[in-house]
Amino acid sequence: MIIVKDLSVERLNKKIFENINLSVVSGNITILKGRNGSGKTTLIKAILNIIEPSVGSIYWKGKLLKKNLYDFYNNVTYIADRTSSLKKLTLKDNINIWKKLFLSNINNSQIEIALKTLKLDKYLNQKVGRLSLGETKKLEFLRLIIENKNLWILDEPLSNLDDDSIELMKQTFEDHCGKEGSIIFSSHQNPGIYVTDEINL
Amino acid sequence: MKFLNKIIFFYYREYKLNLSGFQDILTNIIFFFVSILIFIFSIGPNKEIISLVGVGIVWTLLLLSSTLSLRKFYQDDFEDGNLLILHLNGLSFGFIAILKTFSHFFFVQVPFLLSIPIACILLNIANDKLIYLSASFGIGSLILSCLGSISSSMNLMNQRNFLLGSVIVMIFSVPVIIFSIGIINMEESFNSLINILFGILLIVFAINPWASGLCLKLSIENN
Repeated sequence: MIIVKDLSVERLNKKIFENINLSVVSGNITILKGRNGSGKTTLIKAILNIIEPSVGSIYWKGKLLKKNLYDFYNNVTYIADRTSSLKKLTLKDNINIWKKLFLSNINNSQIEIALKTLKLDKYLNQKVGRLSLGETKKLEFLRLIIENKNLWILDEPLSNLDDDSIELMKQTFEDHCGKEGSIIFSSHQNPGIYVTDEINL
Repeated sequence: MKFLNKIIFFYYREYKLNLSGFQDILTNIIFFFVSILIFIFSIGPNKEIISLVGVGIVWTLLLLSSTLSLRKFYQDDFEDGNLLILHLNGLSFGFIAILKTFSHFFFVQVPFLLSIPIACILLNIANDKLIYLSASFGIGSLILSCLGSISSSMNLMNQRNFLLGSVIVMIFSVPVIIFSIGIINMEESFNSLINILFGILLIVFAINPWASGLCLKLSIENN
């Protein structure tokens, strides 16, 4: 699916990381581990073609990522370490916007089930700005279901989550990999999730 | 068809956001009218002077009022990562800049365009000049939105000095003001001046996606 070969990133003449090799196939979960400031987010941005690597190349489905970018973006959902939900709007509005913007064919009953599972159903008409950090983070995960794409790239997905939510995420990860999906996620701690590959930065 | 739907739903998102932040639009309009009243009080009750400088006042205040909204042009979407998400959804940075420029025009400039008749009554501007003022602002405001897009995207890279972007917009707005006022005061050369204004619009419209797109890309890269 995605292959990262000898990737190095340098910024302002300072090496962020070097010689990173990574291969993700369907059903794989890859963790990017490292302390704060070790370059996890930079590596994710390089994989997403937001940052130009100084050395190395990235391949998507056998082709250079840059030449296959449109297909890559059509198959990837990215969740950043900050929340992208619109704080001025209600949960319902945010969900509607995501559904429309990502041309999702998910139906309302599926959304309702997901909201109940995430324990967000009671806040449906509440503005996102009034939710707690953990609840906003859980709302962000709803985008994974709405976008319904193969590759999930998640930056620090487990931070600010309680134990129940982390358990739920583990289950979601397993379900996604069971459906031939794959996940790359970063974490600065041991998340206790079964991973197929570990990259230490 | 998919791409067209993405554009339509982008504007649905912008509509929802602007509706929830309607007080910002209203504040801009109030600022515009309060400033007009301040001008009227400072000039005094002489109707002739007011009507002579009225068009200049309207244009200056339209420029200042629309500059007020520039801070919000990209800032919120940049801070919460939505610019990147829109990009990953298949919209290039340049195209996002075009869409946001039209969004700024519809949700910020059009309310001003609709306020111009009331401003004309307050400033004793003749009815026949209203149509020229509206036509010049119709084109001029789109130019201001394009310039606003460029300066706001530049501001994302220079978070410490918001005023710099506003200064850039004002400097580049000088030709727009000159030709727009010219249209109103020299009605016989309406066609040639509106063509020049339209030419300026085409130039900034062509530059906008390249300049703003590059600034957006660089600011996300360095964020």
